[in-house]
Amino acid sequence: MTNIRRFLLTGFLVAGLTSIVAAKDISILNVSYDPTREFYVDFNEAFSKHWKEKTGDTVSVKQSHGGSGKQGRAIIDGLEADVATLALAYDVDALHEKGGLIPADWQKRLPNNSSPYTSTVVFLVRKGNPKGIKDWADLARDGVSVITANPKTSGGARWNYLAAYGWALRQPGGSDATARQYLAKLFKNVPVRDTGARGSTLTFAQRGIGDVLIAWENEAILAVKEFGEGKFELVSPSVSILAEPPVTVVDKVAKRRGTEVVAKGYLDYLYSDEGQEIAAKNHFRPRSTAVLAKHASDFTKLQLFTIGEVFGGWTKAQKEHFADGGSYDEINKP
Amino acid sequence: MKPNTTWNKLTHFAPGRALLVAMLASAPLFPAQAESIDELKQLIQQLDQKVRILERKAEIEKEGTDEKAKTTPRITVGNSGLGVSSADTNFVFQLHGLVQVDNRNFFNDGPIQGNDTFLLRRARPIFSGTLYHDFDFLFVPDFGGGARGSSAVAIQDAYLNYRYEPWVQLRVGKFKTPVGLELLQSDAATYLNERGLPSSLVPNRDVGIQLWGDIAGGVVSYAAGIFNGVGDAQNTSNADFDDSREFAGRVFAQPFKNSSNISLKGIGFGLGGSWGSTSVTNTAGLPSGNGFSTDGQQQFFSYNTTGAGVVGDGNHWRLSPQGYYYRGPLGLMAEYVVSDQRVSRNVAPITAANLQNTAWQVTASWVLTGEDATFTGVTPRKPFDLHGSGWGAVQAVARYGELDIDNGAFPLFANPATSASEAKSWSIGLNWYLNRNLTIKGSYARTTFDGGGGAGATAPAAVTRQPEELFSTRFQLAF
Repeated sequence: MTNIRRFLLTGFLVAGLTSIVAAKDISILNVSYDPTREFYVDFNEAFSKHWKEKTGDTVSVKQSHGGSGKQGRAIIDGLEADVATLALAYDVDALHEKGGLIPADWQKRLPNNSSPYTSTVVFLVRKGNPKGIKDWADLARDGVSVITANPKTSGGARWNYLAAYGWALRQPGGSDATARQYLAKLFKNVPVRDTGARGSTLTFAQRGIGDVLIAWENEAILAVKEFGEGKFELVSPSVSILAEPPVTVVDKVAKRRGTEVVAKGYLDYLYSDEGQEIAAKNHFRPRSTAVLAKHASDFTKLQLFTIGEVFGGWTKAQKEHFADGGSYDEINKP
Repeated sequence: MKPNTTWNKLTHFAPGRALLVAMLASAPLFPAQAESIDELKQLIQQLDQKVRILERKAEIEKEGTDEKAKTTPRITVGNSGLGVSSADTNFVFQLHGLVQVDNRNFFNDGPIQGNDTFLLRRARPIFSGTLYHDFDFLFVPDFGGGARGSSAVAIQDAYLNYRYEPWVQLRVGKFKTPVGLELLQSDAATYLNERGLPSSLVPNRDVGIQLWGDIAGGVVSYAAGIFNGVGDAQNTSNADFDDSREFAGRVFAQPFKNSSNISLKGIGFGLGGSWGSTSVTNTAGLPSGNGFSTDGQQQFFSYNTTGAGVVGDGNHWRLSPQGYYYRGPLGLMAEYVVSDQRVSRNVAPITAANLQNTAWQVTASWVLTGEDATFTGVTPRKPFDLHGSGWGAVQAVARYGELDIDNGAFPLFANPATSASEAKSWSIGLNWYLNRNLTIKGSYARTTFDGGGGAGATAPAAVTRQPEELFSTRFQLAF
């Protein structure tokens, strides 16, 4: 009996020590774009807790935020991102095409084209909506000052641009020519073009510049909360774009750092009920129908089109609108 | 108040004046003026927006400039040479150079031919840099003629250095062995054209690996390394000549370096030493040129390598207490070296002996124009400029030194009829630092000898026959 007790005691001690020795401290870096800052603060905390319970490992997730295009280039230039959660698929495609950091079929590795949450583009106006802004057409009126970031550097601004463009195409007699005329007038009303979406939010809400901010839905709601309820009003246009920000493991970096498993677990957790709930609480539209139904009152119902439907996907949209000589350059010609 | 007039006034207002206008606008007024006041308020708002937009644009522009600066490589050209570095300074490449053109004139030197000469003493492009922030490198080829004139191109330094912290660094490659004080002084910074007699007894450059560092900002410096091992004053041929290694190390303290007491902060003293063993029967372990030379680089002592087959054969150790003192324009440097080497001969009578050669020197300098003298040179306050008022810096230098050969060297290992057993040398010089890069030096050196002076038209007999009197000049470009 004594021997059995000693055996069991030794076994427990060995098992305990093994678990202590085996548990690891892991650090990963999530390189993201501007409007996800607050969301990932909450999500990272929940994920660390989840991963600790699941594996015993302690995970510390570091965040980096900026304009989506700029963040993508930083990864290609050597920023050691284990995961990239950028604003648009084009910026993630560049990680494959220019950096060779991820496989070409990265978008097929996770559900919903690797886009675990969505958002849309709305307007934020000052209290009382003094300029009477209701839809996209109002942004091109004389005397209206519009705030949006520079589409050349900001993924969020590209969504804004395409949302406006898509609306113009849907107008009676709408064509590329009329859409570009509309966009030219709209951008003449933009006095300041920040490099990232967060910068343009600050320009509008903190610096008090402009009559209307074109922003992601979650960013607009956050601005209202952050800079004081009652100072701003949210306006949903008649039609807008379905923004589908994608996520991916940066394979080469994760492999080199030995963080592949935790990086994949991190992204998988975005699709979990907990992850979807955190996304909804941070005003991103969850993919989970159950979670979306639970938060239905938080999101205005409006007509949404996808980039694939109107622009043939990001690669085509990038080439036609944001590459050198694209429509954005054209509308800015003096 | 006409609207046009108001507008014209407002558009010429500085932003700060808008507040005053706003105060005026908010004051109680008659109803007849209300419409104008509303217009005024609207104009103020417009003006306020314009100011905010301008401010924000300036901020964004600055952010863009700052961001660009983070990734833009920097190129610098100046008196320190050409430098290129990545924006984060993790990668640095620098090009420096050293050219020394000497003239040597010997007086009353009898039959010696060919020693009065112009000499391209050193001609070195110097490549240095940093890789990945912590890895430094230095590569120095020399196209000059060296001390005695040569057409061969030599690699003087070629090393990699890992800098973990300033106080823990690891250097591997070819570089100066850490023993002698003056020998470790930069070739561009020596106060006289040639180093003094003690440098004849310490190793020059060797291939090896060295742990070193500067503790507390250089209050204490240390270096300890393993090298192939070379003879006194020898440069390695880039490979070992035997199977044994040499250990060398040095500790140097400047205890008051960080003190505010200017009388004490320039004190430095230390101890260098080496130990090794030569174990093959060739002359590579003997001193450079198999003997020792004067300030004029003429040999006054030579081991009898051809007649008696003298070689380094056994233990060889050196010890060198050393120190300096700098205070304002005053510079003092003193050094003592003992080099104890076991040598043997392979011609009857076959025998071996431990020979202990010693040398010492004291160098004093004074910068007449008042600039600070330092171990790394003199920087003129006002560079030479014929169109301006600058004349550079002028420094007077004096040195006395002796080198004593172990009496046991004679007559079995060296010929007392031709080689001197002792050399005593004094020098005086004047250095003109035109600017940080250009220097002109002139000096007179007189060396007397004990022994030697026998028959023969070549060194060392011809050199030791009379005192050596040398006037030398140097034109130096260093950047």
